[in-house]
Amino acid sequence: MRLIARYAKEREGTFEIVTVFESETQRETISKENPVIRTLAKKHPSAIWFERKMSDDFGIVIEDAFDKRPLLHQERFPKAIHPMQKAFQKNTLDFAEFTPYKYEAIQGDGVFQVSVGPIHAGIIEPGHFHFSQAGEDMLHQEVRHFYKYRGIEKMLEGKTLLEAKPVIERISGNESIAYQTAWRDIVCQAAGMELPLSLRKRHAFLLEMERIIHHLTDLGFIPNDAGFGAALAFASKLSEDARRQLQNVTGHRFGFDAIGFENKVLDISSLYDYLDGLQKDIAFFETWIMDIPSLWDRFDTTGILQKADVLKYDTVGVVARASGFSLDRRSEPFYLEHGFEIQTEQSGDVAARFKVRLQEVKNSIVMMKHFLEEDDTHIDIEKIKDGDYTAFAESSLGELFMNIEIKDGVIERFFVRDPSFMNWQTLHLMMPNNIIADFPLINKSCDLSYAGNDL
Amino acid sequence: MIQFWNKRVKEGILTEDTALDKELEAIKREIKENVKKKFAGSLAIRMVDSGSCNACEAECNALSNPYYDLERLGIYFVASPRHADVMLLNGLMTFNMTPHVLDAYKQIPEPKWVITLGACPVMEAPFEKTFAVKAPAADHLPVAHHIPGCPPEPLEIIRGLLEFLKKI
Repeated sequence: MRLIARYAKEREGTFEIVTVFESETQRETISKENPVIRTLAKKHPSAIWFERKMSDDFGIVIEDAFDKRPLLHQERFPKAIHPMQKAFQKNTLDFAEFTPYKYEAIQGDGVFQVSVGPIHAGIIEPGHFHFSQAGEDMLHQEVRHFYKYRGIEKMLEGKTLLEAKPVIERISGNESIAYQTAWRDIVCQAAGMELPLSLRKRHAFLLEMERIIHHLTDLGFIPNDAGFGAALAFASKLSEDARRQLQNVTGHRFGFDAIGFENKVLDISSLYDYLDGLQKDIAFFETWIMDIPSLWDRFDTTGILQKADVLKYDTVGVVARASGFSLDRRSEPFYLEHGFEIQTEQSGDVAARFKVRLQEVKNSIVMMKHFLEEDDTHIDIEKIKDGDYTAFAESSLGELFMNIEIKDGVIERFFVRDPSFMNWQTLHLMMPNNIIADFPLINKSCDLSYAGNDL
Repeated sequence: MIQFWNKRVKEGILTEDTALDKELEAIKREIKENVKKKFAGSLAIRMVDSGSCNACEAECNALSNPYYDLERLGIYFVASPRHADVMLLNGLMTFNMTPHVLDAYKQIPEPKWVITLGACPVMEAPFEKTFAVKAPAADHLPVAHHIPGCPPEPLEIIRGLLEFLKKI
């Protein structure tokens, strides 16, 4: 049974612990006076982050957890403050005394520690990696994030679904349309509406557009990290073109505010021409890049994620598909009718993740051609009804889970689990038998979000 | 690889043929002159993300794609604050990130400037003030210039850098 998410909600006098599995959702109620639960991490190791987050957010004690360190609250965060509790209403905090964080580390003769981040050497998001090294060999790595923790779950409480939208679409810039798609599904459920097919196609077109931009960027950056800069020049040109097309269609280069309940007529013939051109460019790129042996020498067998680990850690997205798992939220009739084919590889290494991205770009182009249609449907949102709503979307990184509970017309609890939240926890499993110089390559091949993870 | 060179010979170097191109050329000429005059030919930028959605970073990365190719104007993104003249700061100044941002600023040798990028560090994005947000950045750092936008497009970033160069 695949674990999707585990989170808490505050009720009067109690906390409700919700555990979402692929086929069922379990709920457990505990008292506020003695908020203690047992860990799920022995069966599902990825539950540990969810549980540590719960402790930080609400002060819930995980009785038998092997790791009780804070997750979101870092060295200078005041102790005994649990900001997700309804009683906590402060919107400013002072820095507390520095309490060192105890990293997981391997000790021994000749073993040394390497700390990287939170500010990295390039133009990327902040996060921290801690390596235990024996010379060049990586023995162990700990991923430590939440530098970008903005308190978004709290920020959205008390807002209506419409008021929350501008924030939701800016949780992660790379996945803005995926977040908006999940939001749209929740609006439809809460208003008891059925989405017209033409709007569904428009939104699906935009989601694939976002995916190809993200994948094209990676198809350049991954070879670049292996010292092949020419690929970056080529692919970054393609991703810039794609971004400009997204701007033409939505008025914004990242598609902020692109998903709504109104369909605007598109210039279909020029989009067809664009997609045809991209198809040719990708075909050229593929034959070119497959023909560089020194590059594949770096890609092959680097950063392997074993099948057993994918299963054990409930990994999602490109990372899971590159290790042979047919896990994709788009495996449903609507997508299948429009040309969707699931892309998987077996080897689970950097090469496999690179190939999955390449194949997905090609498949997305095919689908986008099917999604194009001239239409100007417009629907009005009916009254939003109170309730507990859940939605999924397949972002460029993987499965996105969103849960919004509405009470008295406003958000009572907002919870979202980015695909990165699962996959960051598997990154350390790809390190053994690799050298530290390969770390950027392995990290980039997964290309996980920090902003969506940290919230 | 031979296919690549065939294509390269056949198609030549990528250029854009738009009205925008002329404007871009004029801006670039001006930037180059200013960088030459005020920074002896090379302006080094350390970009620091203090809690963004990653869109600003994506746009700064786009500055090195073949359309914009910022480096040919003498503007470089550098890996260490110790190599930098300017800190380009984006994001919400989260509680967790603020001490690291201030630390990075301290490491930049004098003279130094802070440019804020995008709506977040000036609290103009739709994000609200929570316990985890320390923005606006001007409360913590001497901000010399601001480049607005959510996110600013690459051309707007280039224009913003030019404005900064003219100002100092």
